Amino acid sequence: MYNVVTKSKDVTLLEILDRVLDKGVVISGDAVISVADVDLIYLGLKVLLSSVETMEQLRGAPITGPMQEAR
Amino acid sequence: MLVEGQLTYLYCVADREPKIKEIEESENNLYFVCHNELYAVVGKVEQSEFDEEGLKKSMADLEWVKTNATLHERIIEQIMTNTCVIPFKFGTLFNTDDSLKAMLNEYGEEFKAILGRLENKEEWGVKIYCDTEKLKAFSINDEPEILKIENEINSCSPGKAFFLKRGKTELLAQVVNRKINESGQESFDLLKELSFEARINKLLPKEVTERDDEMILNSAFLVSEDEVSDFINMVDALKVHYENKGFFIDCTGPWPPYNFCGLSKQKVQNV
Repeated sequence: MYNVVTKSKDVTLLEILDRVLDKGVVISGDAVISVADVDLIYLGLKVLLSSVETMEQLRGAPITGPMQEAR
Repeated sequence: MLVEGQLTYLYCVADREPKIKEIEESENNLYFVCHNELYAVVGKVEQSEFDEEGLKKSMADLEWVKTNATLHERIIEQIMTNTCVIPFKFGTLFNTDDSLKAMLNEYGEEFKAILGRLENKEEWGVKIYCDTEKLKAFSINDEPEILKIENEINSCSPGKAFFLKRGKTELLAQVVNRKINESGQESFDLLKELSFEARINKLLPKEVTERDDEMILNSAFLVSEDEVSDFINMVDALKVHYENKGFFIDCTGPWPPYNFCGLSKQKVQNV
C-alpha cells in the first residue's frame, strides 16, 4: 500500500511552500548575506495562495493565525 | 567561481558526493562546493532577484515564488535520492563560494552530527483536516448523552424542548471539540510511536490551505527507512478509522528532512 508516496510533481504547492519557506536550516552570521525573513515569508505565502477575492478579506487580518506551536 | 552580479544560492549540504550530472534542472548552473569533508549543492542566481531588495520584490510575484520554491524542492529531492541531505531554507545566499566555505567551517561539525543522525531516515508529513459539520452529524448518532436529550425533546413540552435543544447544541459543540482534539492527539501519538522524532507544526488557516475543512493537525515525522511501511500501514488504518467521521488525512513523503535538521539553539544565538 504505497499509494501515498508522492514527490514534488504530485503534491500541492502548499505542501512545498509549508516546508521550503518556513522550515529547513537557517544560518546567520557574516557569511550569509540574505535569508528571506519570516514575516515576508508568511506574507508571501498568503499572497501566493490567496485568490484575488480572498486577498481583499485578508487585508488587515493578522499575519499569523491561531496556531499550535511546535513542541 | 565569482561572477559579477551573481550570488551563490545554497540548496543543501551532504556528506557524500552528490550526483549533480543526473539532475534535470541545470538552468541554474548547479554545482557543488566540497569543503571540510562536506558537499554544498549550490547554484548561481541573479543578484537583482535575490539580494535583500530584490527578494522583497520577487516574493510579491506569485509566479516567481511558485517557480523558485518548486525548483528549490525538486533539486533537493533529486540530490537526496543518493545521499543524505540537510535542506536549507529557501533564499539562503552567499556573496561568493569563499563565504560559503567559511560557513562550512563554522558549522561543519554540527552539520556532520546532523547528517549522522539523519542517515537512513525519511521525513513524512501528515496533515489532518476536519469537516466539523460532518463530524457533528456523526456525533449526534454516536454519543449516548446526545441521543438521550434527543429522545427527551421528542416527548416533552415545547417550553422544555426549547431549553433542551439549547443544551443539546452546547453539548454537541463540546463533543465535537473533544473529538477533534482526541483524534489529532491519538493519530499523532500512534505515528510518533513508529518514528525516530516527531513534530507538531503551526496549523495553517483556510485562506492558505484553500480547503473547506479545517486543519486540525500539521505534523512531521522522521521515520527509519525500515519502518516506513509500518508507518504507512498505520496511516491507512487511521484513514479507515477516521475518514467516515468527517476527518481527512493527508500523508506525503518522503521529504527532505526540513523539520529535523535544526541547529542547536546556542549555536544560533552565538552567531
